[in-house]
Amino acid sequence: MSAAGRPPREGLRLGIILRLSLRNVLRYARRSTLTASAMVLGLGLLIFSRTLADGAHESWIDQGVQLGMGHVALQAPDYQQNRSLAYRLTASRLATAMGALDDPQIEPSVAMVAPRIAVSGLASSAGSALPVQILGVDPDLEPAFSLLDDKLVEGRYLQRGDRLSAYVGIGLVERLGIHLGSRFVLTAQDADGEIQGQLVRVAGIFRTGVPDLDEGIIHLTLSTAQRWLNAPGAVTTVAVLLRSSRETPPVIRSLERILPANEVEVLSWREVSPELDAAVKIDDLGDWVFHSITLAIIALAILNAILMAVMNRKREFGVLQALGLTGGETGVVVLLEGVMLSLLSGGLGILLGLGVTWFFWRDGLDMSFLMDEELTFSGTLFDPVMVPEFRLATILVSLALIITIGVLASLYPARQATRIDVAEAMKFDR
Amino acid sequence: MKEHHLQPTTAFQVTAQGHAVRTVDLWKTYPQEPEPVHAVSGVSLEIAPGEFLAMAGPSGSGKTTLLNMLGGLTRPTRGEVWIAGHELSQLSDKALARLRLESIGFVFQAYNLLPVLTALENAEFSLLLRGVPKEERRRRVTDLFRKIGMDGLEDRRPGRLSGGQQQRVAVARAVVGKPALVLADEPTANLDSHASDDLLGVMEDLNRELGTTFVFATHDPRVMDRAHRLIRLVDGAVVSDERR
Repeated sequence: MSAAGRPPREGLRLGIILRLSLRNVLRYARRSTLTASAMVLGLGLLIFSRTLADGAHESWIDQGVQLGMGHVALQAPDYQQNRSLAYRLTASRLATAMGALDDPQIEPSVAMVAPRIAVSGLASSAGSALPVQILGVDPDLEPAFSLLDDKLVEGRYLQRGDRLSAYVGIGLVERLGIHLGSRFVLTAQDADGEIQGQLVRVAGIFRTGVPDLDEGIIHLTLSTAQRWLNAPGAVTTVAVLLRSSRETPPVIRSLERILPANEVEVLSWREVSPELDAAVKIDDLGDWVFHSITLAIIALAILNAILMAVMNRKREFGVLQALGLTGGETGVVVLLEGVMLSLLSGGLGILLGLGVTWFFWRDGLDMSFLMDEELTFSGTLFDPVMVPEFRLATILVSLALIITIGVLASLYPARQATRIDVAEAMKFDR
Repeated sequence: MKEHHLQPTTAFQVTAQGHAVRTVDLWKTYPQEPEPVHAVSGVSLEIAPGEFLAMAGPSGSGKTTLLNMLGGLTRPTRGEVWIAGHELSQLSDKALARLRLESIGFVFQAYNLLPVLTALENAEFSLLLRGVPKEERRRRVTDLFRKIGMDGLEDRRPGRLSGGQQQRVAVARAVVGKPALVLADEPTANLDSHASDDLLGVMEDLNRELGTTFVFATHDPRVMDRAHRLIRLVDGAVVSDERR
């Protein structure tokens, strides 16, 4: 037993070190505020920027899947590679696929289902011919699924009972030199591999602003397409729209578990629209490069502030060691100061980030002043009004990043504090 | 380095030969061009428990370096320092930190109080590190503050105390744990004569009442006059050792 009391316990000393660190953070208010400001602003910016990017990506995906093949596409095996009616979902396979979508694990995630038959073909008028993608769609289901009917500029969308009606893009109309009510010929390979022609009439014209769509997409009714292409009851794709793109992976896992792989292939929008997937990934990568540079600058600012503080407080750390703290414990004091500042800044940064995000969440961030005309990106129309999207994972990742940076930036100053020459630090400055 | 596990010490534990401090052929050499500088040259000392000793000498005579080596703040180039039964060069940094905590108190010229703590918290800091319960800590510090004329100033931060008051708190911090040894480096250098006399009186009282060994590095004649033993250093070597 020591004369003055019990031998020191490690837990107790940690408590003292914690208290010292907290007092230091509070006492050196200006330094703490400056250091914390860098982290608060950094985290706020990171959260806002990530939520904005998440919102923009979700908007791209929403538009992409609604103009394309949905979040999930059910197809016959190998159709994706061959794009031929030889690889179609027959009536019995279609029934199997539709049945799987009624599974209790899947059904709640499904917003809309649209069976389609899609072939590549040629659209010809008296003056010109162009390659097109011909989609046979159910006119009752499609308007609720696709955005294309909303893009109508002339005429009307397809209706049940239409036999020879076609819904075409304005680019195609212009290039073929036709107009509303004009007739033109579609040519494609049917289910038996024979080339078949079909005369159709322009019932409606749409404009999406995406050249690939406006020049290359034609909608017919599903029954017309099946009859013309000798594929009664068959489709090439069951396009599935989910309530959120985030539900895609679990729905795909469930469908793959239920559906026999040799009959129905389950594809995500990433596989069906690889260009959209690439666009999201490239944009994400660009964002993270920007974030990394920002975070590196923040880390250097924190490192500089804490290191300067350690240099200015050598005498204080010398006193602690003279009084009985080890060099390591002195370093822990500095490290804990960094941890506390990081945690405090983390909380404030979240508030700032969410506050700014909430402000723009109501009306979105309108970037249209930067755009003279409609901007498309990887077959998707870029919405100039970017609406941020809250995601808990984004906020937690941002928080973890900023705290990690705060702690990492404190490590070097903490190490320097452990290496102080106590006798030198205690010298009186005359 | 081999670590000696410290046994729990008593305040007045001494070396096997009955000394509070013993140095054997102690050297501190700093490599420098064209020749190394010997800050301390072969000092051998024996300091008995309860001594009130001053080491005097001109600037650069090695007083502070010697004091730092006695306190384990500077490792000697050669030789031995024995305190509380331990030869300091054999101790790891952790064991040395614990020895300082339990057996050595420091008083510095610049007071060196922790600015984030109040006077009372500064004084009780070593007791806190040693796990002394709060009530016991507060009782000891309050008694000590009363003894050194600091009662009523417990809650003040160092920035709101005069130089003399700060140095009293530093003395209280050094002796409150009843260490075997208090090392004081120019404790009166920043004080006026009145405050210096008061402080020395406080330390004499504590030396007498607690039996604490005090070793001063000083060139203040007031300290030298009141010391019971005066060691003079020149160029790092002991040139006289006078007992009063």
